[in-house]
Amino acid sequence: MSTKEKLIGHVMKEEPVGSRCKVTVVGVGMVGMATAVSILLKDLCDELALVDVMEDKLKGEAMDLQHGSLFLKTHKIVADKDYSVTANSKVVVVTAGARQQEGESRLNLVQRNVNIFKFIIPNIVKYSPNCILMVVSNPVDILTYVAWKLSGFPRHRVIGSGTNLDSARFRHIMGEKLHLHPSSCHGWIIGEHGDSSVPVWSGVNVAGVSLQGLNPKMGAEGDPENWKAVHKMVVDGAYEVIKLKGYTSWAIGMSVADLVESIMKNLKKCYTFCRCDKGMHGVKDEVFLSIPCILGNSGLTDVIHMTLKPEEEKQLVKSAETLWGVQKELTL
Amino acid sequence: MSSVLQKLISPQASSAAEPPRNKVTVVGVGQVGMACAVSILLRDLCDELALVDVMEDRLKGEMMDLQHGSLFLKTSKIVADKDYAVTANSRLVVVTAGVRQQEGESRLNLVQRNVNVFKSIIPQIVKYSPNCTIVVVSNPVDVLTYVTWKLSGLPKHRVLGSGTNLDSARFRYLMAERLGIHASSFNGWVLGEHGDTSVPVWSGANVAGVNLQKLNPDIGTDADKEQWKATHKAVVDSAYEVIRLKGYTNWAIGLSVADLTESIVKNLSRVHPVSTMVKDMYGISEEVFLSLPCILNSNGVNSVVNMTLTDDEVAQLKKSADTLWGIQKDLKDL
Repeated sequence: MSTKEKLIGHVMKEEPVGSRCKVTVVGVGMVGMATAVSILLKDLCDELALVDVMEDKLKGEAMDLQHGSLFLKTHKIVADKDYSVTANSKVVVVTAGARQQEGESRLNLVQRNVNIFKFIIPNIVKYSPNCILMVVSNPVDILTYVAWKLSGFPRHRVIGSGTNLDSARFRHIMGEKLHLHPSSCHGWIIGEHGDSSVPVWSGVNVAGVSLQGLNPKMGAEGDPENWKAVHKMVVDGAYEVIKLKGYTSWAIGMSVADLVESIMKNLKKCYTFCRCDKGMHGVKDEVFLSIPCILGNSGLTDVIHMTLKPEEEKQLVKSAETLWGVQKELTL
Repeated sequence: MSSVLQKLISPQASSAAEPPRNKVTVVGVGQVGMACAVSILLRDLCDELALVDVMEDRLKGEMMDLQHGSLFLKTSKIVADKDYAVTANSRLVVVTAGVRQQEGESRLNLVQRNVNVFKSIIPQIVKYSPNCTIVVVSNPVDVLTYVTWKLSGLPKHRVLGSGTNLDSARFRYLMAERLGIHASSFNGWVLGEHGDTSVPVWSGANVAGVNLQKLNPDIGTDADKEQWKATHKAVVDSAYEVIRLKGYTNWAIGLSVADLTESIVKNLSRVHPVSTMVKDMYGISEEVFLSLPCILNSNGVNSVVNMTLTDDEVAQLKKSADTLWGIQKDLKDL
């Protein structure tokens, strides 16, 4: 008898149940790994799968995480180039693709990342036909559209991380200005995750007190407190971090883990993240934009009807037009 | 004209905000430093995090990236600077700075390079946080913990090295995998040097108190048909393997450091294998740091558990101590 047989008697006659809340992260670059680690440290899954084309890096990352198993509550961490390792995932987070170089806009990355998605998305669908697909790769709004088209999934199961991070950055800066924790500062950034995102000044509040009510010029030119600069810092935030350290990872990783938590635990929390906006806010095309939506274990179940000012709605339409301008040129 | 802030908020407390109570500093924002920082943040272990490094842009970028995630965290203050003044009043300082092992390079090769780096770091840490506990992570960790202790002038219970905390974690994971259980349910200690000559204490390996060596008296020896010894070899080789595959290791060490941080900051008195001053134990006569099971709490290394080791295991520890002293005695300018 082996040591194991002497120590442990197997008593269950049936097949083991296997994983019930599996998450896959596609792409083990800086964003993928920051996402993976945030998900693991929040105890969100009972199995984590990693996929990438770079086999050595993939294996190294998986081993490094496995070596931390003592400190985690995710018993199974697997990785392979072959997508069969991702089978039966509840959520698949796609971070794969080229990233912005210093000074490069997200829209520049499009065609390169579309080609990568043509390989990735069908493979994901093949092994997890019922999963919720979450796109993080940039330009996220366009690539969420691409993922939706390539997957054939219903709209509620294809989402993009969108302006979830922009809103988090906004709330952080707002918190610094007001000396409050960001979770007590409410502000929503919608539209494109990028240069043309739209801050909804009318909704910015603390404890329900509208800040625009206290300062009607908020967000406009001529505002003595220059709140508009807060939004500019959000837009510039990513470029600045990229300039300083070469890429961004931690904030996006944590923000994605927060979305994954709402799905895995069916929290029905409200986030700004990107989904198909056609038919709302005067948007005519199949464009994916971020607005506040409810996220649960079925995916995106509901949207919030924002009361936007005419200028805000105009900016949203302009965002949509910019994105559609790029989308219609794509060969899928 | 009053600002939004003044209209919105009426102050109640007249005094300035209190200083932090659980401030943690991480020195070095390389892959290991950032993995430690993120693990500590995601475990809600500190109320202020300070980062220090010499590479100013990288440092600022990492700080900003973490601050952008502050909505998701419960650490309200994240600061960073090249100047150590930013680290003042830390309870715990984690030192990850230094050069890392190249592919195939042994940890002992890094020594003198890292001693020189530490001479610019340690006195600054102590200047601004004279009551802190220092956890050394940089390799070769046992030698550098000795160096830190010498340079800091701190009592020995306030300076520890991450030591074989990670080796033990890897050992427990690999052994548990073979048995089909969670790592935390397999109890096994790897002691001594963090590295090639670490000592797996087979006599203590157990699950639910059932001693594995009693079930298999050959366990850990070459005579063992099941070759359990290979598991310890895999632990020793793991770092080299991960470095070969991805260029460095960071997640596992980051998680293990957060585990140590938790015991210290929350005064838990848990037992961890960490590198501590072992002179006068097990017949060791030199001032070397090796990993033994230590009780960690807000005092730092409060006490050491007296292991019952076999003669062979004691001999291995002594051998490690001799190797380490062989290097330490030649170090310049301590």
